[in-house]
Amino acid sequence: MPSMAANSLTKSATAFNWKIAGQAGEGVMVSAKLLAKAVMRHGWQAFNYLEYPSLIKGGHQTGQVYAAAKQAYCQYRRLDLLIIFHQQGFVEHQDEIDARTIVFYNSDLIDESILKKYPQFKAKLYPLPFFSLAKQAASQQIAANVVALGASAYVLGLKRKVLSKLIKEEFQAKGQKIIKANLAALQIGHDAAAAQLSPLFKVTSKQTKQLLLNGNEAVALGAIAAGVQYFSGYPMTPTSSLMHYLAAAQQHYPLVVKHTEDEIAGINQALGAAYAGVRAMTATSGGGFALMVEGLSLAGVTELPIVIAYGMRQGPATGLPTWTSQADLQFVLRAGHGEFQRVVLTPGTIQEHFELTQQAFVLAEKFQIPVFILSDKYALESHQTMAQPQLSYALKRYAMVKEQDLPKDDSYRRYKLTRSGVSPRSVPGQAHGLQVTNSYDHDEFGFATEDAQLTKQQIDKRQRKLKGIAQAIPQPVLLGPKKAPVTLVSWGSTTNVILELLTKTKKVNAIHLPCVWPFPSKQFQQLAQKAQKLVMIEGNATGQAQQLIRQQTGLVIKDSVRRYDGRPFYVNDLIKELKLK
Amino acid sequence: MKLTIPKICQALSPTWCPGCGNFAILKSLQQAVAQLKIAYEDLVIVYGVGCSGNMADFNRVYGFHALHGRAIANAVGIKLANHRLKVIVVAGDGDTYGEGLNHFLSAARGNHDITVLVHNNQMYSLTTGQSSPTTDKGTATKTTPPPTGVIEQPVNPLSLALAANAGFVARGYAGNARQLIDLVVQAVKHPGFALVDIFQPCPTFNKRNTYQWFQQRVYDLTTQKHDPQDQKAALVKAQEQEKLPIGLFYQNEKSQAYHQQLPQLKQKTLKQQWQARRQLKSLLKELK
Repeated sequence: MPSMAANSLTKSATAFNWKIAGQAGEGVMVSAKLLAKAVMRHGWQAFNYLEYPSLIKGGHQTGQVYAAAKQAYCQYRRLDLLIIFHQQGFVEHQDEIDARTIVFYNSDLIDESILKKYPQFKAKLYPLPFFSLAKQAASQQIAANVVALGASAYVLGLKRKVLSKLIKEEFQAKGQKIIKANLAALQIGHDAAAAQLSPLFKVTSKQTKQLLLNGNEAVALGAIAAGVQYFSGYPMTPTSSLMHYLAAAQQHYPLVVKHTEDEIAGINQALGAAYAGVRAMTATSGGGFALMVEGLSLAGVTELPIVIAYGMRQGPATGLPTWTSQADLQFVLRAGHGEFQRVVLTPGTIQEHFELTQQAFVLAEKFQIPVFILSDKYALESHQTMAQPQLSYALKRYAMVKEQDLPKDDSYRRYKLTRSGVSPRSVPGQAHGLQVTNSYDHDEFGFATEDAQLTKQQIDKRQRKLKGIAQAIPQPVLLGPKKAPVTLVSWGSTTNVILELLTKTKKVNAIHLPCVWPFPSKQFQQLAQKAQKLVMIEGNATGQAQQLIRQQTGLVIKDSVRRYDGRPFYVNDLIKELKLK
Repeated sequence: MKLTIPKICQALSPTWCPGCGNFAILKSLQQAVAQLKIAYEDLVIVYGVGCSGNMADFNRVYGFHALHGRAIANAVGIKLANHRLKVIVVAGDGDTYGEGLNHFLSAARGNHDITVLVHNNQMYSLTTGQSSPTTDKGTATKTTPPPTGVIEQPVNPLSLALAANAGFVARGYAGNARQLIDLVVQAVKHPGFALVDIFQPCPTFNKRNTYQWFQQRVYDLTTQKHDPQDQKAALVKAQEQEKLPIGLFYQNEKSQAYHQQLPQLKQKTLKQQWQARRQLKSLLKELK
């Protein structure tokens, strides 16, 4: 047995890259999530990136996990272990292997004569009949994803106990029979691998308190921690699973989730709920948001708080529905006719998605404005480990009048001219708080007016909010060493890749923008002034944040790396582009 | 404090054209609300955009003056956030059956507990007289000039509502305030989605469907043997074109509103269930 001989020599790993490729419906995404979870339960960090086409069965999809004893911020292209269910995998992934990569291919579908067709595919190839092993152990082919997990766990030196516990939890709802079948699939995968090779390394485990979640789950969890009570929206990749998560959470919280007839109703119902006094949100992607734009403008003039989670995907129009992008920044900044305040938050890590979503609800309510969580397919559908947050959240309400403070003579003014620009709002049900929340320009009571002076007064009032907002938003942060020859600038999910890059080189540092509107000009300039050379990294073709920085600060960033093919950035590409080697 | 007519009137004076059907509808609504004895602060009126929506400035209540076409969507959100409120939508035919038709059908089949009053003048009048979804075929308007006039068949709001399983479907007429008050009272009391489509003569832009024209055609449904619990009979009545029945076409007496079917709203409203502290423990288990 080769594995016996090798075990004593097996070194401890500090990081590895794993990928599984199959067709939609074969459960490869489940394998990937479980593997990432297994890694987390060893006390490691993990990042799980999924690629899939816009269809339900067939096609080619992948799950890939980067696991590291310390930090894991993004996926890598070069793989230590690759699992291929279909021949297509040899075509798709030939650039991700080298002579040291271990590849298990599905010998039920791929025989040796087929291998000859891919002479350039130079890796350590091992046949594994995933489908027949699944049928043998679990009586059904669908368990091939768990067979793959068993084989992977063996090669990567993961603890078998951790995996079997995960399987029990994952299939708990499906009953003992299914659990047993999948445990058998796990074992048969493990044994089939052990019969052919030794483990690559072993993963030493430590105790940590972490969670594994994707961006959508982080935003949903953040919203729950912030007291969200109403969510209305229309499903659209990549934010659908945000609605799924909240819909399931209705059984635990005083929360109503409404799948509406369209995105227009999505934002308008949420605004109705906000008017009635509960914390409300919606979520969508580019095409859906295009339909919401008039509603955004309504939020602006009615001064109603709303949180909008926006998941960018490659556009224009239907675009690449399941692929990532950062090309809607200027759209979100400019959307809505007329002039009104908004906040655009751009979280990077999954943890930041969780934290900024909580802040979004506070900002929205405090300033009675729409607040965006602008993210993308890459962050929202990728899983990442994060430290377990606190379990309990004390919540406060902002800028709302108490019933006992309302004047008994009904002289309450909903849109009272205040120095801060924020007018404490009444909600229906409060005696003496009568008001019209009005989409028309209005006077202080909310009645429509076309008077020039009254119109200007209300616009000035809304503009005055900017001062308070600017002091309340999250500020740009410097990542990496204080001084470096090159300073990268990034926003949103791209910051994950930058953080990973910073673990590989001391030649760069980076400015991360967790909020791009209102643009934190002063703080950004303070950081940018210290840079020797600035390079903008963003996922669009026209340099949208680069333009924004120039517009708001006058600072011209000359160099940039842009990606706009639906794929995320990769650390190795950046190293090459930035000539860091 | 209960709403009274002087109280609700303490806003701005109506700006409608002399002879507009909206005056009678406004007065009927105010009378109905007074009869209903709703607490002053527990009524919300959501207004569409159009001549009818301008009523937002003529009532002193909690109001929400929405976007054109979207009043029903706002109303659904308001009701689900605080279902103790009585929520009335005041909107026009263009607003409800054109721009906002999807919301109308969705709210009807969802049986959201809102009352929708449609001021149906068969015309876009605030934009100075273009055809609406209910304009009769052949009518010449600014956007549908002669020789053809409107080529489309008009939508039939009552048939649409019935097809979407609306639980309360009625038609009123600005020329019959007594009946209209009664219909609005019944509609607000109905636990679920209620439509009152209201014939509203527009003396300025609709020279066809005038008071005289309606006067010759409308008849009270109660003068005939019509069972308002019979949905099929209501559909037949809704299709009548020569003579135009007004009154209650259909009411589902077993109506259960959307919010009544949500377990989390069984005891208290969402608004009342605000939590000053939120716990995440139960959710974190499956993420560990």
